[in-house]
Amino acid sequence: MTNLNAVDPAAVAQDAHLENADVIIGKNTIIFRRFMRNKTAVAGLAIFLALTVFSFVGGYFTQWDKETIDPFNIGMPPSAEHYLGTSQAGIDLYAMTVEGTRISILIGLIVGLVSVLIAAVYGCTMAYFGGKVDKVMLFILEALIMMPALLVVAVATSGGGEGLKRDLPSWLLLIIVLLVFSWMGTARLIRSLSMSLMQRDYVKAAQYMGVPPRRIVWRHLVPNIGSLLVLDITRGVTGAVLAEVAFSFIGIGIKVPDVSLGVLIGGATSQVQTFPWMFWVPLTVMFLLTGSLAMMNDGLRDAFDPSSSSSGSAKNRRALKSRAKGKSS
Amino acid sequence: MSSNLDAGPAEQPQSAVERLHVAGLHAPTDAVLSVRDLHVRFNTENGVVHAVRGVDFDLLPGKTLGIVGESGSGKSVTSLAIMGLLPTTAEISGSVRLKGKELLGLTDKAMCEYRGNELAMVFQDPLSSLTPVYTVGTQIVEALTIHNPTMSKQAKEARAVELLAMVGIPSPKDRLRAFPHEFSGGMRQRVMIAIAIANNPRVLIADEPTTALDVTIQAQVLEVLHTAQEETGAAVVMITHDLGVVAGMADDIMVMYAGKPVETGAVDDIYYNPRMPYTMGLLGAVPRVDVAEKSSLIPIEGMPPNLIHTPTGCSFAPRCPLASDACLDGEPPLAPVPGSTLHHAACIKSGALGGEVDVHDVFSAPPVPVSRFDAIPRGERAVVLQLKDVRKHFPLSKGALLKRRIGTVKAVDGVTFDIREGECFSIVGESGSGKTTTLLEIMEFHKDQDGEVVIGGISNKQAADARTKAAMRRELQMVFQDPTGALDPRFTVYEVLAEPLQNAGMDKQAIKKRIMELMKLVGLQPDHVNRFPNQFSGGQRQRVGIARALAVNPKLVVLDEPVSALDVSVQAGVINLLDKLRAELGLSYLMVAHDLSVVRHISNRVAVMYLGKIVEIGEVDRVFDNPRHPYTRALLSAIPVPDPHVEQTRERIILRGDLPSPLDAPKGCNFATRCPVFAALPPAKQEKCLTLEPPLEPVAPSAAAQALAAHALPVLDQRFACFFPDGELDEDMLVVHESADHHAP
Repeated sequence: MTNLNAVDPAAVAQDAHLENADVIIGKNTIIFRRFMRNKTAVAGLAIFLALTVFSFVGGYFTQWDKETIDPFNIGMPPSAEHYLGTSQAGIDLYAMTVEGTRISILIGLIVGLVSVLIAAVYGCTMAYFGGKVDKVMLFILEALIMMPALLVVAVATSGGGEGLKRDLPSWLLLIIVLLVFSWMGTARLIRSLSMSLMQRDYVKAAQYMGVPPRRIVWRHLVPNIGSLLVLDITRGVTGAVLAEVAFSFIGIGIKVPDVSLGVLIGGATSQVQTFPWMFWVPLTVMFLLTGSLAMMNDGLRDAFDPSSSSSGSAKNRRALKSRAKGKSS
Repeated sequence: MSSNLDAGPAEQPQSAVERLHVAGLHAPTDAVLSVRDLHVRFNTENGVVHAVRGVDFDLLPGKTLGIVGESGSGKSVTSLAIMGLLPTTAEISGSVRLKGKELLGLTDKAMCEYRGNELAMVFQDPLSSLTPVYTVGTQIVEALTIHNPTMSKQAKEARAVELLAMVGIPSPKDRLRAFPHEFSGGMRQRVMIAIAIANNPRVLIADEPTTALDVTIQAQVLEVLHTAQEETGAAVVMITHDLGVVAGMADDIMVMYAGKPVETGAVDDIYYNPRMPYTMGLLGAVPRVDVAEKSSLIPIEGMPPNLIHTPTGCSFAPRCPLASDACLDGEPPLAPVPGSTLHHAACIKSGALGGEVDVHDVFSAPPVPVSRFDAIPRGERAVVLQLKDVRKHFPLSKGALLKRRIGTVKAVDGVTFDIREGECFSIVGESGSGKTTTLLEIMEFHKDQDGEVVIGGISNKQAADARTKAAMRRELQMVFQDPTGALDPRFTVYEVLAEPLQNAGMDKQAIKKRIMELMKLVGLQPDHVNRFPNQFSGGQRQRVGIARALAVNPKLVVLDEPVSALDVSVQAGVINLLDKLRAELGLSYLMVAHDLSVVRHISNRVAVMYLGKIVEIGEVDRVFDNPRHPYTRALLSAIPVPDPHVEQTRERIILRGDLPSPLDAPKGCNFATRCPVFAALPPAKQEKCLTLEPPLEPVAPSAAAQALAAHALPVLDQRFACFFPDGELDEDMLVVHESADHHAP
């Protein structure tokens, strides 16, 4: 049986073949390539990044901030001094938009990321243990789904929770409440997905080797639902941004003096006729934010989906190369 | 376009075909289907894959063409291209003519005229090829309606009943209203064949029609295909990787490799006089169920070439033991073999390979490994695993709100056996016979089990605390059926192998050393440890799985269908490796397999299971050469042998129906409902089978042997559970294919 260990020409040839960078492409590279091929998604990513950068450095381009009142420019349309005009109270809209965008993105990212993380751990644990653990955890989950989120948000941010309100800024409070109500759907999805993963032989193999359950969940289950998690994060961010806007719009989310896109839009609805810039500017920013995320999501889905029709561009590349070669020779 | 990719005739596909017409190669013959210069290219992430590179064949009415090759050789793509079922991203060129009409280039709508009418296909997976929400009758009638809009409802129904009867479904009239889930896999495949032949197709393409089925069911389905072909006179294209399956059916064989036919010819030419090393290797890689002599199998090392790069020499040269420099100089064309007009081979050495060249010499098969335990008599070796009366019953309950128990599924019902050091013990049987449940019972190993499992002296009854269990886990490891599913796709090989070692509490340095040892042991290159499983071929992945099982130095390795997911050529390598490891490390194996040829090759002892019970157990050669239980005889006769003459003349026992549901298992002998002996017994004796359960009894040496021997003969290592092992077989269940009816012009 020496020929198994001997280095035979076939193995060497095959090796050279594998080393040949063309043959094996890492999964991440493929996903990245597919994503980059989707122009809409790339545009979405660019817009989202630009908005994020804007929300952090935009404040340096103006001397005004969201609290200073300019008594000489009350309710003025956009001008050289106030790029986007001022509000009824004489506060610079540009400064408020920068601040509001930052709060909205912050809420979106934190809620999107953390809720997916909670959902992943919760869903995987349910699926791994099954039986009674699964039943109890599923009951808690269902109970949370049934709970009227709107009422709880309203109570937590306005009526009750005076002590909470004093200690925490309203945006942080909103994040916590949104987090509590945003992970259940994803958790259910992850539970069913992990249940099918549990049937895979490599999980069984780990069990038969005596690997402790905690390690199996963390090392085998969570990474393998990774692509779903990434998709869910972008979706979760969009959902959280929209929820924040909606709650603030009806006046139970972010409270003044904190600003967010929702607060700005909500405050300006009654003045669309008189101060149109107060309404349209934050609305546009919100559309850019959620729209860019939606565009990205579409591209991500294509990139992760193994059955995607996004086929290689090798042919074009090769054709280009050969044409170039033809020209040079 | 991609004109720079391929030189030669395909450069301007259209004109090439025209040229062939002019040259008379495409002359109107009586062929129903003629394929010329078929090329298929796919555009992928890595580049353009040239999956099919010039396939030519003519199919005469009533004939069967077998297309054989490893996975990835382009067999299925060829068939899909003919059917026009490839995705629109595929680029197809060449010519496919059905009764003289060109099919390539037709729109999907135009193709629908032919598909299901003159061209029909049977797919591999019967479980997913029927729509679950429609009854079987509706689906057959649908196929009829599409191509015969004027047919009356009654006529269609009558035809559907006729079709179901033709494919051997009992009480077809009632079964019309059954849903697919009420049928077993074999029955669904019959329904698929019924749908395929509904409109009397001229060409029937069967793509691995029996790969997903049990051997006994496979024999039934092949039989049905045979009748279907006789009834309709259709030409059949049979695609398979199993050389045994086509040996009895095909008239002509085309061996494909790397998207190209490398050898074509009549079935006898290919099997008895192969002229291409690849065909020789394929034939040598298949273990034979009818041969006891132990010789190593012939693995074909390496992988098929990547079809992104156009091969510059013979595509098989990198794996060919006979390759010389001349082989690398241009791809050899398919040329007639000297002395024959129909037999073609694409090898520059085909002339020298005829006659008496032995495959074992060509491929330098490894020597048969000998274990140090082989010399010690079985009785003196230590027991590694012992099962005593292990049972696993599942309660079956009905009702949504109030669950009431309506019965018990006896998945495993009183199994007793032991495994000694250094031996390989196999359990065989159809799916549903309880072999895998037996394995799982051993792997579970806890106190509440019904029956006793003793692993390396540790009983599940004594103690089942964490420490004992950990000790047990070190004695026993498992290799899984599907090498892809058994390895976490996100782990590198290093991480995969390190997991059991970390778990055993080894330190980092020791782990590293052990992993290097393991890689060498299973014949992988040590520097491959940083690769991910998807960067390996199937056989290499299974080697990683074996290495993981061996990591903690177990005494017993449980193998759950270790090679059934692999190609024949790769399978041979893995079987040889398992054989070598058993000998070198003194391992014992407990193997579950449905492929009896593999079992015969690798095992020392074998148990045949039927409905949760062992019906025959003993030394492998005794059981296989002298089967006593009718079920064992049926199983053995159902295995196709890669030898056309044997295949066409031997007697086959075709069992009726499927495994009965464990719910309505018979009271007496489990097997009575399907037993060929039982069917031929007089009613008085049948009574005994139906009421009494036959015990597992040792085979008594025949009277003649006893008379000859001066002293008492030793007890033979073979036991079986049947009252009438010598009873005659029911004639209805015996099938013999006369070679005459097959090769009639």
